[in-house]
Amino acid sequence: MINLPPSSSSAQLPPLPTPPVAVLEEAEVQEASSDATPGSPAVPPTGVQGLTLQIEFKIFVSTFITIFLAELGDKTQLTTLLMSAESQAPWIVFLGAGAALVTTSLIGVLVGRWLSNRVSEAVLEKAVGTLLIGISLWLVWDIVQL
Amino acid sequence: MDFNLLGLSFVTVFLSELGDKSQLAAIALGGSSKSLRAVFLGTSAALLLASFLGVWLGEGVSQLLPVHWVKTIAAVGFAVMGVRMLWPKAAVEAAIAPSGDD
Repeated sequence: MINLPPSSSSAQLPPLPTPPVAVLEEAEVQEASSDATPGSPAVPPTGVQGLTLQIEFKIFVSTFITIFLAELGDKTQLTTLLMSAESQAPWIVFLGAGAALVTTSLIGVLVGRWLSNRVSEAVLEKAVGTLLIGISLWLVWDIVQL
Repeated sequence: MDFNLLGLSFVTVFLSELGDKSQLAAIALGGSSKSLRAVFLGTSAALLLASFLGVWLGEGVSQLLPVHWVKTIAAVGFAVMGVRMLWPKAAVEAAIAPSGDD
């Protein structure tokens, strides 16, 4: 037999559910309007937005495999191994080394993108091809020295 | 937490990786690939796993894996990517203008 007066409780509480829903709807409307501009024909997606997850995954895998194989037994690995052996604190060494590696790859990717925006596509392809073959030769040099 | 060791390992690895093969590869792939995110994630994941193995397996890496062959595979992989980047353009140019030289 609990009879709460509904009018007084709802008057004290602010209408919580309404503002988030309104915000959500607004965001959805904005997204929809920016996605599909009415009137313009359906353009096949190109560039970064048009990449499917599958293609991105392929890029990820090929990047991962080549860099991982190239980096195995490299001097960074030897440095981290020596440091962790000396310090007896492998987690801390891994944390520091990992942060450094993520930072250097982020810098690398951003430098690559920055350079690619400043040269023509033909020049870029030649430069990238030459650089990749250079890395390959560098690896061969490493193998000879092992 | 030993912040000295953390900082030391960060600085050491950062300096030794700067301008190294993997960063050059990140520059090359990041400049030519359509997905910056995929290249960044792939590079980072590969480097993290390699250093993880370095820390935990230590010397065992070279005993467990034939590093010569692993590096050879990587060298071939990079060479193939490089040739693919250079090859089609040359072939197309030759097909369009067989007599033209630049």
